[in-house]
Amino acid sequence: MAQLNFVQAITHTLDFEMARDPRVVLLGEDVGKRGGVFLASQGLFDRYGPDRVIDTPLSEAAIVGAAVGMAAHGLRPVAEVQFSDYIYPGFDQLVSQAAKLRYRSGGQFFAPMVVRLPAGGGVKGGHHHSQNPETHFVHTPGLKVVYPSSPADAKGLLTTAIRDDDPVVFMEPKRLYRAFKEEVPDGEYAVPLGQARVRLEGDDVVLISYGGSVAETLMAAGALSEQGVSAHVLDLRSLLPWDKGAVLEAVARVGRVVLVSEAPKTAGFVSEIAATISEEILDTLLAPPARVTGFDTPYPYAQDRAYLPGVNRILRAVQGVLNY
Amino acid sequence: MIQETHLFKPFDKPLSLVTDAGVWNAPFELDLPDETLLNMYRDLVLSRLLDEQLGKLQRLGKTSFVAPNAGHEGAHVGVAYALRAGFDWLFPYYRDHGLVLALGVPLREVFGQTLATRADPNKGRQMPAHPGSGALNVFTAASPIASHLPPAVGAALSMKLRGTGQVAVATFGEGATSEGDFHAAMNFAGVQGAPIVFVCENNGYAISVALRKQSGSETIAAKAYAYGMPGYTVDGMDALACYYVMQDAVAHAREGRGPVLVELLVYRYGAHSSADDDSAYRPREEVAAWRRRDPLGRFRRFLEARGLWEEVQERGLRDELGRTLSAALAEAEAAGSVPTEWLFDDVYAEVPDTLLEQRESL
Ligand SMILES: Cc1ncc(C[n+]2csc(CCOP(=O)(O)OP(=O)(O)O)c2C)c(N)n1
Ligand SMILES: [Mg+2]
Repeated sequence: MAQLNFVQAITHTLDFEMARDPRVVLLGEDVGKRGGVFLASQGLFDRYGPDRVIDTPLSEAAIVGAAVGMAAHGLRPVAEVQFSDYIYPGFDQLVSQAAKLRYRSGGQFFAPMVVRLPAGGGVKGGHHHSQNPETHFVHTPGLKVVYPSSPADAKGLLTTAIRDDDPVVFMEPKRLYRAFKEEVPDGEYAVPLGQARVRLEGDDVVLISYGGSVAETLMAAGALSEQGVSAHVLDLRSLLPWDKGAVLEAVARVGRVVLVSEAPKTAGFVSEIAATISEEILDTLLAPPARVTGFDTPYPYAQDRAYLPGVNRILRAVQGVLNY
Repeated sequence: MIQETHLFKPFDKPLSLVTDAGVWNAPFELDLPDETLLNMYRDLVLSRLLDEQLGKLQRLGKTSFVAPNAGHEGAHVGVAYALRAGFDWLFPYYRDHGLVLALGVPLREVFGQTLATRADPNKGRQMPAHPGSGALNVFTAASPIASHLPPAVGAALSMKLRGTGQVAVATFGEGATSEGDFHAAMNFAGVQGAPIVFVCENNGYAISVALRKQSGSETIAAKAYAYGMPGYTVDGMDALACYYVMQDAVAHAREGRGPVLVELLVYRYGAHSSADDDSAYRPREEVAAWRRRDPLGRFRRFLEARGLWEEVQERGLRDELGRTLSAALAEAEAAGSVPTEWLFDDVYAEVPDTLLEQRESL
């Protein structure tokens, strides 16, 4: 076991998988000698050389599209797009090629690849360095989508993503990259996709979140416990597939739920969960599901923190469902 | 057939008009009045001093981000003086403070954008180094590399269609030439003969990625030929070479003869941004060698050789510009920070009900 922060856990996992499987290659802008702008691949260029750690030209279409071809031909590429905000020039490759290759070829060709996307706000980056585009990906059948919130989960899920036979969009909350360290297993450690993690046990209200917002959700749960309210906190960890069983079980037991996500509200991923809850266990609810989300605006620069669903907005929503 | 504008044949080496020693060395007469030359120098120095000032603000924690311009000033001033300020449209990128200043964007607005105060006409919506001015036809910069190039072609087509006589100029780094948007824009402009000049500020690096890993072409200018337009490579540390080639390219576009690609060879002395450490990927000797070719130094020697400049004027100018910068910064700060509620404005022409509700929930 080692104490690692989120980025260190990513580097460690990439290293572990590259050592284990010669088919694993990295590609992206500045991932070579520079080690990536967030240093996620630091040291790997020196260890594995320029053929397996590829500095690409500045083209996300080339990065994502070449990853599709590499994967189809037998490699296990892990592509880095510098910020999730810069996926758009590569979006066509992701949506039209990666996501649909298996389907359109009747299963003859497929793309076992990972696209890593540093995502989310709270870094004073304005709209082109802060967005949460996960809805685009979960709305694209053929992709899997992962968005962990802690170093150990980052290792467990990245390992699974790299070994998965389908394309996985792996989102990383960059404001938590260096926020804290935790114990990360040194050896073999894989967490299956589609399993939520219970971050806190409780019976008064269920708080559900993923990615960066798990941090604020846990802070809100801490504040609630001081007020004598016990929150059950679920960290989804992966969005496609998502852990319907754990969500429905907890919500049916407690009867009150607040969903927290920093993506814009309209058609955000948590709306899918709210809809599923309403369809399947409406009769167990003591209050309508509440969403606490980013606003339906581009991500602003000046109001970086105000945009994020912070502790106060979460607490207000919890009051709402408790007093319903 | 390789296309060309009238004044210049495609060059086999980067075009330079003033030698390192500051001597005019061109096959034609200099036709700029002394006053313009002095203004150019003033803009070169102002841009350098602004860069230093922004670096200080970042180190003091007053701003979250800077994108150093030092080393690009010759290119910036050359491009700006070739445009009809406030008439032509500029589509800049994030390393263009010197360019927008020389076009007339007020310093107060640049500082306002940097500090996200009410002095920013873009209302604090973007991270620093992303200027824009509706009043001066400076199309507010966007971070996604090369994404502004197809819009620049569209504006140029509108200029052509509406017969306004304007020209669009779009700037970008050499890294941008790898994006599909660059090629889509070049191709469309070439097909339509759009009045646009594409200006590549080639500083040899896209963050850590060196030119040889960016492009297999011998020069960036060579890419022009495939799209049926003239392409020129210019010594970007020579402000006057940048000016004359740009002026010719702009005239070519304005006369309805179609687009041009101009590659300006520059260097960024600093790191890519305040978030970067360039010592990991650039040898110090390389940085030092480029610094010796400084566009300010060369221009100053040029003025001195013509008897237009002396040390006392230099000191006077720097003092004056220092005061101008401080006053503009103070004004931008005094304008006050951008109010939180502003985050809901300008998503659409009118704030929709959903956003009014969300504003209530702040
Ligand atoms: C589409 C897109 N991908 C990646 C980035 C991240 N990024 C910002 S600047 C930069 C390098 C740009 O280099 P270049 O075009 O040469 O301009 P320079 O910074 O050297 O002036 C990169 C990769 C981005 N802004 N947009
Ligand atoms: Mg560059």
